[in-house]
Amino acid sequence: MEYDPKLPADGINTTDENPLREFALLIAGLVGVAIALIAIAALAVDRLVPLVPPSLEARWFGGIAEAIAAEDPRSAPVQALVDRLVAHWDDAPYPFHVGVLDGEPDPNALALPGGAILVTSGLLEQVGSENELAQVLGHELGHFRDRDHLRGLGRGLAAQLVLGAIGGSGELVSGLSAFAGALAQRGFDRRQERQADAFGLALVQAEYGHVAGAGDFFARLAPSDHEVPAAGRRLARYLETHPSHEDRISALAAEAKANGWPTAGPLTPWVAPSTE
Amino acid sequence: MASAIEAAINLGVPLLLLAVAYFTGRRVERQHYASIRARESELRMLPAVTFRQIPSAWAVDGLGVVSGSCVVSVDYFKRFLAGLRTFVGGRVTSYETLLDRARREAILRCKEDARRRGFQAVVNLRIETTRVTRASNNSRATAGVEVLAFGTGLELRRDPR
Amino acid sequence: MILSTTETIPGRTIKRFFGVVTGSTVRSKHIGRDFMAGLKNIFGGELKGYTELLQESREDALARMVQEAESLGANAVVNLRFATSSITQGAAELFAYGTAVQVD
Repeated sequence: MEYDPKLPADGINTTDENPLREFALLIAGLVGVAIALIAIAALAVDRLVPLVPPSLEARWFGGIAEAIAAEDPRSAPVQALVDRLVAHWDDAPYPFHVGVLDGEPDPNALALPGGAILVTSGLLEQVGSENELAQVLGHELGHFRDRDHLRGLGRGLAAQLVLGAIGGSGELVSGLSAFAGALAQRGFDRRQERQADAFGLALVQAEYGHVAGAGDFFARLAPSDHEVPAAGRRLARYLETHPSHEDRISALAAEAKANGWPTAGPLTPWVAPSTE
Repeated sequence: MASAIEAAINLGVPLLLLAVAYFTGRRVERQHYASIRARESELRMLPAVTFRQIPSAWAVDGLGVVSGSCVVSVDYFKRFLAGLRTFVGGRVTSYETLLDRARREAILRCKEDARRRGFQAVVNLRIETTRVTRASNNSRATAGVEVLAFGTGLELRRDPR
Repeated sequence: MILSTTETIPGRTIKRFFGVVTGSTVRSKHIGRDFMAGLKNIFGGELKGYTELLQESREDALARMVQEAESLGANAVVNLRFATSSITQGAAELFAYGTAVQVD
């Protein structure tokens, strides 16, 4: 028996495929699947949300809304305004409670499940007229009409579930999927905001007989946009959940024109309530 | 806007790590293979076989257990690719070169051990592979792969050719 | 190519021997198999998915080993052995090795 010191051919136990190509394919495939799953989940949520009866929502969350409202005496005039606006809304699902977020200089308002509307103290101090405040409150009421807050909750939950399932392959894949999914959501969210704006405008028209002052809120905030250079602004616009302030002003004007609502009229003055 | 920057950083860091791991991993692998091929060529005069019985034609003067082992580490890029693979299934090509290198290196070290101790052949060669894990937090991430090659070295009175 | 786990091939003599030839593959399960295995962990029974997976791996590894042997000009591999090891979560390496020989 003779020994032959030959060496076997190289590379039989390895594959020559370029790892970068495999990497790109796998990532693209997985992120694609993740986005598809999130999109399907979001659609499912959208179908299911209208089925949640407002009475159920009020029962689950209503307690929180009332509790928040009771705290600040400043909420009283705002609550009165909301009640006047709601009077024009025939299908109002449940009573709305206003709460004030103290110590927040940025003017803002939020809608929470159960009928809670939170306004920041900054909003109450900076608003120029009652009409302007009415538009902001009407916008939040618009969100309630479309059940947007529930949709947001549901979609967030669904996205978390899907990403949790994929989580095994690391932060990169979930990060990419979350990012791409969020970008896709932006367009959807902007549509919701536009609809809420339109509803708010309709309530203002019903209450005052004209829509003067409705766009003042955005007009006041718009100049801050100009600090960002034009290209950055375009990108920021794409990434933000709300349409830009200028877009919203023009949308409101168009809506008023389409419905034949007068854009001029006397503005009801607003006095910022004090904390006593 | 801030959330977009945050997202970009969250993605950018792992991508950067992957890129660095890919390039350094490839270089390390290439150098290792060059070393392996050179030594395989040099050591091919020493036969290593899996025969369990010593061929009757060989006159054995002495014997002893020889072994060689090697632990090859997994770089971030390979580990990431393997993680992605466990979703779709199939051959994990990123680990194939790892194991090939570790195995050939282990066999070479076994032969080197034999030669150092004056043996001219290794019989009953066995190869064992184990995974070395890094016990960090809850995960048992694969830190590397250990291959052990061991057998019986034979001191022969005459060259087995 | 004759494959055998024995020392010699009955009726044939080994004329020449080469060194050790190896064949290995690393295969991973996919998420479907994993899910079924998860269910089986509750109900019990053979993990057919994994059995198939390892079967394919074995054939793949043997094929590679035979390829190495053929490149040497051998026509048989004796003293064949198998080894399985877990390489990472969800992937296993299957590896076959033996001595390539030339029989008459």
